[in-house]
Amino acid sequence: MSRQSEGKLSRRRFLGLSSCALAAVAVGSQVKVLSALAQSGALSVPVAQGERNVLTSCGMCVNKCGVIARVKDGIIRKLDPNPHFIKSRAMLCARGNAGIKTVYDPDRLKYPLIRVGERGEGKWRRAGWEEALNLVAGKMNGIAETYGRAGMMFASTEGTFQDHFFNQLAECFGSPNTVRHPSLCLSSNIQGFSATFGTNPTPDVKYADYIIMSGANRAEAIITPDTIDFLKGEGGRRKVVYLDPRFTKTAAKADEWYPIRPGTDMAFVLALIQVIVTEELYDKAFVSERTVGFDKLVPHVRQYSPEWAEEECDIPASDIRRIAREFAAAAPRAVYYQGRRSSFMADDTQLRRAMAILCAILGSWDVPGAMVPNGKIPLGAHDYLPPWYDDIPPRLDKGGAVYLSEKDGSWKVFRDRVLEGKPYPVKGMMVYKQNVIASVPNRAKTMKMLEQMEFICTIDICMSDMAWYSDVVLPEATYLERQDPLESLAGIVPVVVWRQPVIEAMFESKPCLWIMQELARKLGGEVPDSFNFTMEEAIHHQVKKNPQILEDLKTKGVYYEKTEPIYGSTSGKRLKTKSGLIEIYSAKYEENGLDPLPVYRAPETTPANRYRLVVGRNAYFTHATTANNAYLHDLMPENSLWLNRAEAARLGLADGQMVRVRSSVGEERLRLEATDKIRPDTVYMAHGFGVLSGGQSLIRGRGGCDAALIEDHLEPISGNVAMHHTFVEVLPA
Amino acid sequence: MKNKRYAMVLDTRRCIDCKACTVACKAENHVPLGRDNYRNWVTQEELRGSYPRLGQSFTPGQCMHCGNSPCDHICPTRATGVNPDGIVTVDYDKCIGCKYCMTACPYNARYFNEEKGAVDKCTFCAHRIYGDGRSPACAETCPTKVRVFGDLNDPDSEVSRLLASRPYRVEQPDKGTKPFLFYLM
Repeated sequence: MSRQSEGKLSRRRFLGLSSCALAAVAVGSQVKVLSALAQSGALSVPVAQGERNVLTSCGMCVNKCGVIARVKDGIIRKLDPNPHFIKSRAMLCARGNAGIKTVYDPDRLKYPLIRVGERGEGKWRRAGWEEALNLVAGKMNGIAETYGRAGMMFASTEGTFQDHFFNQLAECFGSPNTVRHPSLCLSSNIQGFSATFGTNPTPDVKYADYIIMSGANRAEAIITPDTIDFLKGEGGRRKVVYLDPRFTKTAAKADEWYPIRPGTDMAFVLALIQVIVTEELYDKAFVSERTVGFDKLVPHVRQYSPEWAEEECDIPASDIRRIAREFAAAAPRAVYYQGRRSSFMADDTQLRRAMAILCAILGSWDVPGAMVPNGKIPLGAHDYLPPWYDDIPPRLDKGGAVYLSEKDGSWKVFRDRVLEGKPYPVKGMMVYKQNVIASVPNRAKTMKMLEQMEFICTIDICMSDMAWYSDVVLPEATYLERQDPLESLAGIVPVVVWRQPVIEAMFESKPCLWIMQELARKLGGEVPDSFNFTMEEAIHHQVKKNPQILEDLKTKGVYYEKTEPIYGSTSGKRLKTKSGLIEIYSAKYEENGLDPLPVYRAPETTPANRYRLVVGRNAYFTHATTANNAYLHDLMPENSLWLNRAEAARLGLADGQMVRVRSSVGEERLRLEATDKIRPDTVYMAHGFGVLSGGQSLIRGRGGCDAALIEDHLEPISGNVAMHHTFVEVLPA
Repeated sequence: MKNKRYAMVLDTRRCIDCKACTVACKAENHVPLGRDNYRNWVTQEELRGSYPRLGQSFTPGQCMHCGNSPCDHICPTRATGVNPDGIVTVDYDKCIGCKYCMTACPYNARYFNEEKGAVDKCTFCAHRIYGDGRSPACAETCPTKVRVFGDLNDPDSEVSRLLASRPYRVEQPDKGTKPFLFYLM
């Protein structure tokens, strides 16, 4: 069962080996990695500079936890948690601790590379920045000349703190086609909650007495401080009910776990609402003062009884009824924890609406232990005036979803339209640290999109699959080697964070801002006009009105004004909804031809001898970006296919054997994990493996890629992808 | 002044098996890469029950800094020693790599460090404690604060207070090793 404990037991076998195993042991210390690189001529060893502690923030995932980097003689020895960083309760997770190996990674991108073989063949030539950037600028201008400026697309990660500069380049170059991460993640969440509350609130986990969690595996998909706070505190008053087709580590920590049938969460939520409405357990005063449309909800949910939901969800009606009563009794300190990623089913926005409505009728809004709107500490902006171009068309994916984000777009729709070449051709691709090939469902389709690109340039710190299939690869400095602008992190306890360079950027890597400025100069025209500033000036503009922010960042590594959540900020005020109230019934949705109240539609039945493939996180990896990190690789060297033990026996498959997993869009080969920890009709594999890139030496050829198997279904309201509509066959390999 | 007696108290109910402790330890103590090389670990205990009624616990472990250490008794070169504060140490220069201690340790807490050419194990991050007084890297980084480190000879320390107020157990008490890692129940 336990990979780690297997490893633990096995090391007694080591007793039989002599010390000649030395050659097989990888070097552990950063000093040795550096010496090895120095011996190979890759860089010079830093000169002795004594010891320093540098306050900065982590860049291994979205949480941006506070870090104290311990530096000795120019080498980062250790990353420790910053005790002042209240948002993460002063901790660093495995990834945060492993950041050191991201910097001192022999696989790191070191120099600009220009492709010399076929795409994906892995033949490169080292180039200087001047040559590489001239090539990129020439190609970009050439594509603009032939196809128009919108013919260049800009795909970007978010949250590096420098992604703003990448998007600024897109804007100044004159392309509306920026495509970002939310339509593979949380866009339906934002849409569903915003349609109800006018904003996507944060559950006040720390003070909640009752938490229902579905679609969020908070023990493994770490979001701070929720991952820490959802565990029972002193007194053990809090109750956690958890729905997941898998027995995750969150399930192990929950009071109750229900292996819900995938795609039926909305039936569960609607049945809770039905019980609460029928038994009049809702907050009548709150409903009449703060909401609209409750009168329409009452007849609407009559059909959704717990007995009906039992058939859909595989959760006993008696439990649903009891949970509804307990949840209502705990309100308003009761939250239906919506999680972050919401790219599950094609009706995900409506599921989020149902969750929001449930919280609304119980008055779980803007009070301790409830759903609380986020605050954000204001920062000044470094303003710029992008050039005006007359002939810029709308986004390529315009109209592809009812509420499409103007900056983020919809990956699914965008890629389809690139392939159709309609309404106009997109033939060039700039990518900033988004691993498109490994992340957008239906990898085969992504490869087709790339085939028709005349030019692809990727900026990254490692040879991701996306970089591997590019024409030019530019090395960015890692988060521990850059000065970044300040970032205001919204939340119920908002903070401002920053990064300062812990060490000088290694090899020829450069920060994104430098790359954008140099590229802008080479692009010419009016593009460089707005890039004429330094990082110091940008930061100066951010803190002009509140210099204390910068002072605190320098001395404490974080700035905050309150250590406890702020409640009641919406009290007596209009919400950002059409009515100004909490919209149980959405008139806006009705006008757009959408269900104004969430209507349940059962997911397609699983065909015989097929399994529904579900995705999910673990605490060791961030998306498809950290599996090649040496420390994290030690924790989990490859992914496996989780299949229920009884099903594996029925198929004659043994735990640990290699299997082929086949969907309508692809086939992958990986190891089978026969386990009780998953529903018999469902299979799961971790994300981030089955890489194509030859530049990720630890994980090349290990495990399977989920993006190669997942069909690309659309959640049409927000433009999110819907990743749980794929059925697979499992065959012996 | 009375000697210190260092100990660790663990509340495993809070452990989510995120393995921050394992990576923090590897980085702090330059533990070589490789899945057999570690000073601390989190064991995923066997699943309890069968689908769909399941339970599982996660148990972090490391050198128990025993009061009656079999590793200390067996070491032929006195490479293993015990400090007055209870920290069990390894003198890498004296270690001849005979690995008797690895066999003797009932907790499997030791590994052979090929880079050092010596057996290695948890020292409670003695260099931090004796240096600027910081807690062991595993305790400091733990997201959910499973581990509490401190001095049992100080009745006001958090470890003393926890053991005075909560029931606890030690691992393999039948071995007579008198471990100083205490697991709250």
